[in-house]
Amino acid sequence: MVGLFFGAIPGLTFSMALALMLPFTFGMQAVPAVALLLGVYVGGMTGGSVSAILLGIPGTPSAAATVFDGYPMAQKGEAGIALGSAVIASTFGGLFSLVVMMLLLEQVAAIAIRFGPAEIFALVVFGLSTICGLAERSLLRGLIAGVLGLMLMIVGLDEFDGVARLTFGTVQLQQGVNLLVAMIGLFAVPQVIGTFLDYGRVQPLKLPHDVRARLPSLRQLGDRLWLMVRCAGIGTGIGAIPGAGGPIAAFLAYDHARRFARHPEHFGKGELSGVVAPETANNAVTGGAMVPLLSLGIPGDPATAVILGGLLIHGLYPGPMLFQTHLDTIYALYITIVLAYVVILAVQLGGIRVFVRVLQVPPHLLAVCIIVLCVLGSYAIRNSIFDVYLMGIMGLLGYVLQRLRIPIAPVVLGLVLGETLEKQYRTALILSEGSYRIFIDSGPALFFYALTALTIGLHVWSTSRGGRKGAAGPAAR
Amino acid sequence: MRLDHLDRWLGPCLMALALIWLGLAYAYIPGARGEGEPGPRAFPILLGAVLAGLGAMMTAAAFGTGRREAADEQRVAAVSGREAAIVAGIFGALMLYAFLLERLGFVIATPIIILATMRGILRIRTWTINFLLAGGVTFACWLIFAKLLEAPLPRGSWRWLL
Repeated sequence: MVGLFFGAIPGLTFSMALALMLPFTFGMQAVPAVALLLGVYVGGMTGGSVSAILLGIPGTPSAAATVFDGYPMAQKGEAGIALGSAVIASTFGGLFSLVVMMLLLEQVAAIAIRFGPAEIFALVVFGLSTICGLAERSLLRGLIAGVLGLMLMIVGLDEFDGVARLTFGTVQLQQGVNLLVAMIGLFAVPQVIGTFLDYGRVQPLKLPHDVRARLPSLRQLGDRLWLMVRCAGIGTGIGAIPGAGGPIAAFLAYDHARRFARHPEHFGKGELSGVVAPETANNAVTGGAMVPLLSLGIPGDPATAVILGGLLIHGLYPGPMLFQTHLDTIYALYITIVLAYVVILAVQLGGIRVFVRVLQVPPHLLAVCIIVLCVLGSYAIRNSIFDVYLMGIMGLLGYVLQRLRIPIAPVVLGLVLGETLEKQYRTALILSEGSYRIFIDSGPALFFYALTALTIGLHVWSTSRGGRKGAAGPAAR
Repeated sequence: MRLDHLDRWLGPCLMALALIWLGLAYAYIPGARGEGEPGPRAFPILLGAVLAGLGAMMTAAAFGTGRREAADEQRVAAVSGREAAIVAGIFGALMLYAFLLERLGFVIATPIIILATMRGILRIRTWTINFLLAGGVTFACWLIFAKLLEAPLPRGSWRWLL
């Protein structure tokens, strides 16, 4: 419900919802805690379609492609069918990807169990190449953000030597910059600032009256079943690539649906397939993203980075060992995802009018509530007022970075992966007695370096291609 | 402001930050104990060097852009007075909230901060809305977090005043 709520409201992200909810899972056992986070993740991904269809404003970037046909359908008076189809497609995509995830997770983990420190170091370097996907337009800015995140991770007691690093005698800083405190500040405070800035400038949202989700007919669904299978495949595949994420999957699926449609000219004017395809794909991303996350410990986007933080806090260290030590937890997670989709299906079909009301709550009032939640959340982590101050400072840093066009997500990625990166780097060098050859002597390590180079190369190529097109555009006109 | 113009001072700033970082790392973090073993300073030094390199790349790229016409996405809006006031207000409110939580506790500090935010930052003068929101949010948070989730809320060190 929390995920649906945050996903449905434009401007509020479910990454922020995850960061805000995480501190309150501390009192819970590992399985319910992670179940809560996965529920928010799945709900957030699904909820984005509500505002995309009703308002023409995507609640999440992943729902951007849903606007193209969802909103025209709402304008034609078919909002109910569009919402119902979006929910069915989301559930189908999510469950499809869950099956793929169940089949792949143990296989990938079985390979990863043979990895030593040098291979894990290379793997984390590959994980950091996710920055390319999170860096928006500028890889340089993404890299700077990633390094800043790694620098924040340095502060605190060194695990190997027990030496305090850059704590300047502050006892509270010896435990380091808490990941959650940083995430709450970096994600939530800039959004609160943005909402306050919009107050008085942005017109209140106008919603259609008496909206109810209606199930599409069996024929409508049957005609699109094969399309849904293909789009679920696209979404799962894209989700498994770190840094790709829901928006890319949704746009690819939309393009695929239009390209292979019998009447492509209907797209953009309220075609049901234009809603079904992106919604299937963006929800299929959830299962795909879990494959590198749970088997290798590599988050693909900000939301899975927060989930990774949650797993670590509850003593669940993603990677091959997770399947040996916490197999019961893995099965519980599978059941959780199924349950989350069933609940979301029921809630969205039965209670869509509640969400319409939620969309009418003025965002500035929600932002005031978020300030309170930020403070409560950062305090609850260690019952420390120092963390509240730190969260405020992180929030200011997040805002400054945003204004300088430096993306925030790579900072979080650096914070999440930094500890493992340094630990494996130092362990490998201790094992090799200082020889750097250890990093290039193994096949899997070289494979991950090649993947990293490929990811960065592809990003540079696609950005320069986009840049040239952009530069040629005005001249051609 | 054009993005490349912003980068002309952001790049050097990052290089300066990297130099300060390197200085601090050398001054406050001890080096390796054994030969061939990376000490606690190795990684911070590496990061400082990488940041300095990235700053240099940004500076070089910014000065190499030339006088091309910048597209809209290559422009950065200047910080307006209203924006600066809102940012300062929210940051100030967060700091004040932390200060008051430590002294007055959650139940008293929260409505004070909500009222201050509504009046001071958002300039909403309808007292009914302000009081309803302040009371409602405080009560709802207390009920959910303190009573249902049994999360410890700050109780304040100045309780003896009340």
